[in-house]
Amino acid sequence: MEPIIEVKNLVKVFHSRGRKITAVNDVSFDVFKGEIFGMIGPNGAGKSTTFSMLTTLIKPTSGSIKVSGFNVDKQDDKIRPLIGIVPQKLSLYPLLTARENLELMGNLYNVPKKEMEEKIDYYLKLVGLEASADRFTGGFSGGMKQRLSVIAAVLHDPEILFWDEPSTGLDPQTRNVIWKLARKFNDEGKTLIFTTHYMEEADNLCDRVAVMDSGKLVALDNPEILKEKTGSTNLEEVFVRFTGEEVRD
Amino acid sequence: MTIKTELMDSLIVAKKEFKILFRKKALIIPLVLFPIIMIVFFGYGMGGTVKEAPILIVNDDTGRASSSLVQEIGSFTEKYNGDPMFSVTYTKDMSQSEAESKINDGMYKGVLIIPPEYSESATKNESTTLTLLTDSSDTTTSSIIVNYMRQLLSKTGSVSLNIPNIYGNLEYLDFLIPGVIALTVFMGSVATTGSAIAGEKEDGTLVRMLMTPISKRSVILGKTIYQLILQLGRAVILILAAYFLLGFNMNGSWLLISLVLIVFTLGGVGMGIVMSSRVEDMESFFQLNMLVTMPSMFVTGVFFPLSSVPDWMRYIAYCLPLTYAIDAMRIIMIKGQGLNAISTDLIILSLFAIVTFTAGVRLFRREA
Ligand SMILES: Nc1ncnc2c1ncn2[C@@H]1O[C@H](COP(=O)(O)OP(=O)(O)OP(=O)(O)O)[C@@H](O)[C@H]1O
Ligand SMILES: [Mg+2]
Repeated sequence: MEPIIEVKNLVKVFHSRGRKITAVNDVSFDVFKGEIFGMIGPNGAGKSTTFSMLTTLIKPTSGSIKVSGFNVDKQDDKIRPLIGIVPQKLSLYPLLTARENLELMGNLYNVPKKEMEEKIDYYLKLVGLEASADRFTGGFSGGMKQRLSVIAAVLHDPEILFWDEPSTGLDPQTRNVIWKLARKFNDEGKTLIFTTHYMEEADNLCDRVAVMDSGKLVALDNPEILKEKTGSTNLEEVFVRFTGEEVRD
Repeated sequence: MTIKTELMDSLIVAKKEFKILFRKKALIIPLVLFPIIMIVFFGYGMGGTVKEAPILIVNDDTGRASSSLVQEIGSFTEKYNGDPMFSVTYTKDMSQSEAESKINDGMYKGVLIIPPEYSESATKNESTTLTLLTDSSDTTTSSIIVNYMRQLLSKTGSVSLNIPNIYGNLEYLDFLIPGVIALTVFMGSVATTGSAIAGEKEDGTLVRMLMTPISKRSVILGKTIYQLILQLGRAVILILAAYFLLGFNMNGSWLLISLVLIVFTLGGVGMGIVMSSRVEDMESFFQLNMLVTMPSMFVTGVFFPLSSVPDWMRYIAYCLPLTYAIDAMRIIMIKGQGLNAISTDLIILSLFAIVTFTAGVRLFRREA
């Protein structure tokens, strides 16, 4: 299988108020083209930090990352147009309408006007937001923001979609929509990388799942194989086997 | 990335900034009104000028000297906006306490009492005392009247008065307006740039934007274009409002004014970027902003001339860029001088812009 992302010995150290935090500690893995790749791990495990480095937002302390053959250090401007990102902290302009938020994103990704408008209409309908298209997003619910944010991330038809905690805090209906979308994007050939705290979600969607804990990658495989290896009946047990019972800060 | 795409991207950013600005009703009103209110309040309230201030002259003397004095006051028609400054009424045989009660009743802003022996003493060159009562609850009018009378009497020679060099009360607005324009542009560009970035940090939209292919440069350029339009727009509104509400003298070139304001706005934007890079949210930004811009507001001579402040204050003022912007604005607007006269100011302001901008671009990182 062809790797679309290659991560080698990735380290990220933060210096915050005189304290040294190793958020990502010597992590290496590949993501294959066309797969759905899940990342799980307790709070503070380093999932979002890894995402930030993969998406060129922050620079690694050491180690190397290649995305679609480009080096994040030197060719970050080649990478950004190829990827779509739904950040953990959903960030929409509250004083712009849903449509204006999308148009802004489309423009920043240089999507031709006509194509952009067609896509916006299509996706708004797909996620059931067409009636709210001209409302300010400041008043949107968490589920609406999540649905809108994912549209914003795919208007430019990215090869890889990064989705940080797509279903946290959402009702079952919205989560269903999110899952359908994830599968749809994957069927269209996009590589999907997401993080989640819902083991069921990881189990259902992922071709492979990576378990992170305290900055380390502690396991990486197909969910079925992980269950088999650890003699667990579900992913929840796998998770606890790898990361322990202890609550994190 | 080509220059063209960078420019197009920055226009996308500028457009977005405007769209959001126009929806922030709570912000746009003070943004426009703040400078106008400041001018109206300070212009009328603090220094300003007086319009038809009622003055009573109690002349108990019948000699020539007093009548010429009275005539001079009466014919004083220094105009402001077409209105004479004083409206004079004459009487005689009124006691001081009677005069005081007239002022208490608000009938007169000032009463000048000329004693019976005035003319005689004047011809003999002896010193005499005129009594001037003023409504000191109205500081502006009363100080103008006092100053005017002092000046007038100093000419007669019979009363030797030391006239302190007050900064031309009659032209206080002309003095105030250039300063307020510079202050407005400075506070506005620093505060709106910085708070917008701090707010975008807080709600994550800044990071979100930097995840897209847009370059850091384009984001900064977009915000700068927006600020230049916004601040120059505010300056124009302020100038128009000041002109139509209060009237002022403009002796120099609007082109030079624009040049000074553009350079100064750039510096303010750079400073806003630098300041916002030190904070994580809007509230901390505003705290920092208070600390940084407050001294500028009170030390740099917006409201009073630097020549009238103590040395230590003047030294602080010379460290603040606003001082040079105000100086340049006054040189152009009041003195009507050209590029030569403001070249030092312009060089300092350009340095300010270059330094803050360079620092701002460096500190404005993708890593939020
Ligand atoms: N900008 C930063 N400065 C300092 N420390 C940071 C920064 N970003 C993350 N960290 C720290 O790095 C560690 C990893 O954080 P990260 O957000 O990557 O975890 P996560 O796995 O995404 O957690 P969660 O499941 O809660 O989202 C945490 O200890 C966090 O406090
Ligand atoms: Mg996270």
